[in-house]
Amino acid sequence: MKGLALAATSLSTQMPRGFLAVTKLKLTKPKMKMKKKKKPKTPESSQEQDQDSNFAFNLKQTTSFSLTHFPIQPLGNLLLGPTSKTNLRDTGLGALYCLPDDLLHDILSLLDATDLAVFSTASKSTYVFSSHDPLWRSLVLSKFEGQFSFVHSWKYTYVNSLTGKPPLVPKSLKITNFYSDYLFQSYLCANMEFKPEWLKRDNIQRRRGISVEEFISCFEEPNKPVLLEGCIDTWPALKKWTRGYLLETCSGTEFAVGPVKMPLERYFQYSDLVQEERPLYLFDPKFTDEVTQLGLDYDVPDYFREDLFSVLGQDRPDYRWIIMGPAGSGSSFHVDPNSTSAWNAVIKGSKKWILFPPEVVPPGVHPSPDGAEVACPVSIMEWFMNFYGSCRDWEKRPVECVCREGEVIFVPNGWWHLVINLEESIAITQNYVSRRNLLNVLDFLNKPNASVLVSGTNDRVNLHDKFKNAIDVKYPGLINLLKLEAQEKAAKQKKLTFWESAADSSTGGFKFAL
Amino acid sequence: MADNGGKKITLKSSDGEEFEVPEVVAMESQTIRHVIEDVCAKNSIPLLNVNSKILSKVIEYCKKHVAAAEAAASKASTEEGTAAAASVTKPSDEDLKTWDAEFVKVDKGTLFNLILAANYLHIPGLLDLTCQAAADMIKGKSAKEIRKFFNLKNCISPEEEEEIRRENQWAFEEEKRTRAFDAYA
Repeated sequence: MKGLALAATSLSTQMPRGFLAVTKLKLTKPKMKMKKKKKPKTPESSQEQDQDSNFAFNLKQTTSFSLTHFPIQPLGNLLLGPTSKTNLRDTGLGALYCLPDDLLHDILSLLDATDLAVFSTASKSTYVFSSHDPLWRSLVLSKFEGQFSFVHSWKYTYVNSLTGKPPLVPKSLKITNFYSDYLFQSYLCANMEFKPEWLKRDNIQRRRGISVEEFISCFEEPNKPVLLEGCIDTWPALKKWTRGYLLETCSGTEFAVGPVKMPLERYFQYSDLVQEERPLYLFDPKFTDEVTQLGLDYDVPDYFREDLFSVLGQDRPDYRWIIMGPAGSGSSFHVDPNSTSAWNAVIKGSKKWILFPPEVVPPGVHPSPDGAEVACPVSIMEWFMNFYGSCRDWEKRPVECVCREGEVIFVPNGWWHLVINLEESIAITQNYVSRRNLLNVLDFLNKPNASVLVSGTNDRVNLHDKFKNAIDVKYPGLINLLKLEAQEKAAKQKKLTFWESAADSSTGGFKFAL
Repeated sequence: MADNGGKKITLKSSDGEEFEVPEVVAMESQTIRHVIEDVCAKNSIPLLNVNSKILSKVIEYCKKHVAAAEAAASKASTEEGTAAAASVTKPSDEDLKTWDAEFVKVDKGTLFNLILAANYLHIPGLLDLTCQAAADMIKGKSAKEIRKFFNLKNCISPEEEEEIRRENQWAFEEEKRTRAFDAYA
């Protein structure tokens, strides 16, 4: 086993704002092969062993930091340690010590680079807090936007980009007895390998070569997810989209990456080097406008050809994205916008998916009552560390899978989903509305707080009317027909949840307009 | 929408003092709102993490902001057309900002307690305001001034200090430039 193993006991305590899980971590020595007398396995000791292996983490082999020399320790080490020590964190913060780490971080994120750097020189404690790399990421992005050359870390990148010279990193700086769960967890998530056991479960329905009718009746109408194999085998993208091809074809184009736009060379330079908790994700909704050739290298699979938002022409909300990202990048739990369904095709790499049906809110996720906001403050890695284990054995357990090159996943409307790239990945995703979903979408767009909920367009308030009118023009009578069908169906069927139904389910199906 | 006829609720500080406030004011705190809505609280809510001095400040903030929102809403509904309404609400936005700025002119101990209370009670506006005020306490200060102001224990050895300063030399040059500019301003 390479790297150090950490035994961790997870304590999830919910705090009002941050909702961070408080984790106690204990550093253990690497497991070495030694000849020992075998103790008889009592039930307790074997359970303990299982617990240990459950919570052990390996560091990425590419990680540049070593736990034995890392300045920050988790709070568990202070609390469970043999002697009572003081926390360097507190003495070095003075009056600021009473603020929890996440709030202190929020305050420091309001400082400009100069003030943050000066603050870092005040004490060892302020130095550690000021060195938290996400702070410098914001500073790089706001000062240099997409025009940075990423080197080593965001802090390094900032100084290098500003002065043209690399910063002189201190070599003799000794930091001991500094304990912080917040900072430690962040570094751990950035440098930890995705555990193999998180990949073990793959319980999604898989189909190959089914007809469109079968897809609609077995999955789209009952609103169930499915992984479709073999339906993008003819995509030129699968063979063509090498790095070299993309760099050449997209030369001069800037793609949407988080809050900025970047040329592809710069993005790859970043994604090849970065090791952070929430890597920047290239996620661009205008890629076919920007580079026509990319749109020609793929085709919408037959199952998803009905695309009713197309009646809006140029006024339609964003509906198709190219997605690129390094291992660890991804999307934390969310429901897709405007009550649409989606498909996601992996061209390169692989993604781990976790899906929950609409009526099951994933652990660690806190949607506001009106659905306008979803608080999921933990990163994807942290979610796996602290929440995944607890829901695996639920009665309403999640649907999980790994989606690989050439495979397409169907994400039914309203389903919660989380995605993490297991390696550098390229994918295409599209959201769509078919007649199975049309009434839901109209309801959604008609909600009183549509101006907050509707996304992907500048015309949130009027989208409902525009869409409805355009449908009436192109498909006269369709809406009324669907409403009649829905009423008949509802009268026949008792409403079943996904987990209660054997075959059909009306989860996410037609709802009456309120 | 006067608060005289509205429902009242009692908030009890950690040191036992009781504050009767209109429910709409208390609900500026999302934590309290959940207690009222989900738990069907009786008329008194104990807040074990907030003492009376801080709670009275928090209530002052919430009262002011609820009143300001109500004033803006009633003006908007009486004025014809959104353009007219917008021009009317602008001055009161400025007034509120001025009030906020005065509100956070407190000693750092009080300010940090306000931050903790705003966090615990989940009052986003107050949390943003107080965090910005804390950041403003750091801005523009030299390392020496920061140490003095926050009473930090500095265990950096001279050798380490030299290295850290060299690492951040670019910032000290920026700082000198900014300060020189400020001297002329």
